Amino acid sequence: MLRRRVAADAARREALANDVLAFLEPLYSTALRLTRQPADAEDLVQDTYVKALRFADKFEPGTNLRAWLYTILHNTWRNRQRDVARAGVNVDSDVVEQEGTRPEGPLMFDTPERILLRASIDADLQAALDALPEVFRQAVWLRDVEEFTYAEIAEMLAIPPGTVMSRIARGRKLLFERLSHVEDAEAPRPELAGRRR
Amino acid sequence: MRDCRGTLEQLPAYVDEALPPESRADVARHLSLCPGCRREEVAQRGASTILRQRAATLKAEHLPPGLRTRCQAAMSAKQPPSARRWLAVLVPAVLAAVLIVATAAALFRVATERSNTVLAAELTADHIKCFRLFASGKGKSADPAALESMLRVRYGWDVHVPPSSGAEALRLDGARRCSYAGGPMPHVMYQAHGQNVSLFILEGVTRPGADVTTLGHRARIWTRGGNTYVLVSSVAAGTLSDVVGYVQREAQ
Repeated sequence: MLRRRVAADAARREALANDVLAFLEPLYSTALRLTRQPADAEDLVQDTYVKALRFADKFEPGTNLRAWLYTILHNTWRNRQRDVARAGVNVDSDVVEQEGTRPEGPLMFDTPERILLRASIDADLQAALDALPEVFRQAVWLRDVEEFTYAEIAEMLAIPPGTVMSRIARGRKLLFERLSHVEDAEAPRPELAGRRR
Repeated sequence: MRDCRGTLEQLPAYVDEALPPESRADVARHLSLCPGCRREEVAQRGASTILRQRAATLKAEHLPPGLRTRCQAAMSAKQPPSARRWLAVLVPAVLAAVLIVATAAALFRVATERSNTVLAAELTADHIKCFRLFASGKGKSADPAALESMLRVRYGWDVHVPPSSGAEALRLDGARRCSYAGGPMPHVMYQAHGQNVSLFILEGVTRPGADVTTLGHRARIWTRGGNTYVLVSSVAAGTLSDVVGYVQREAQ
């Protein structure tokens, strides 16, 4: 009886392992945009999988496995940030939450279509994302790259849906300003040339 | 009629087409009359469009070598039979032992210093866990200077990492951050005669030296220069003493 249950548990865990491992690449990409350090991203992903196995029994079959896994990733990251903050290193503070737009000259937006045609778009986009305050970067990434719903993001980040919405709004605005506020969109941007992959 | 504030609040959901029809119509009406909010809409839509267009590329970062294997190991329910039987017995036993000693330690903490047995059991559990999950498996000797700089830059630890040593058949495998009841600590991983060896460095901790056998492993504890060192392995007692001697010479 017990043996049968243990075997069933093992089979369930194995199925779950296969399913969550399919998300390894996007999960690592998300971790890298969170930490901005490959070594930290690697650690974070590994910890996420260790925890996913430990909490395997808590996963309700039929619910969104990907959202569950990303929630573990973000919880783990939050706990680490807390440890770092306790150690006296200043991370993004709530002040950042108030940050709206950067005072700039007259708003001259380039069009998304033209921005997408730039040869350096991927490098530009990564740099622009990495330059965002963390809380905005997280929210925008989860919505527009990973396409989670507002409710799923609210749970992942442990914040109210209204805050998710305002973080997405601010993050998108800062990102678009950064991408479109190039003096001359056609001119080569030497500082980014080496970063293109 | 909606004002600018109410419009801006709902703009992300409007752009994502996630608003109910009546709110959607309200926002659209305001936008048709307000150039300021329209400019905001252009930015919201622009960023969202660009990110979605490039999402596939953004999500396809190259994985660092070995990460997939390590994650698979972390998730694998299937161990080789002997290892599985061994782990099935040992891991719960280790956890139970740690729980018991940790609880006991918590109860008697006020009266006594945490005993060497508690510390040894805790670090032995960590030794088993880390080698199971994070062993590099490269079979190559790691660069001690690179590990020292990693521990300094990432965690602020200024520790000496003893290099591989031919005389003791000791190969440096890697280093990472681990935690014990006293907080985070550096964990340096070696192989000696093909067996796993862990060196833990508890900074700023002094305690009496001891030799403890726990959970099928030997732990040697000693204090030098204001730090406590703990070596954990299942190698023979003589081999462990050689390694301890080497690490002590290195630490001077």
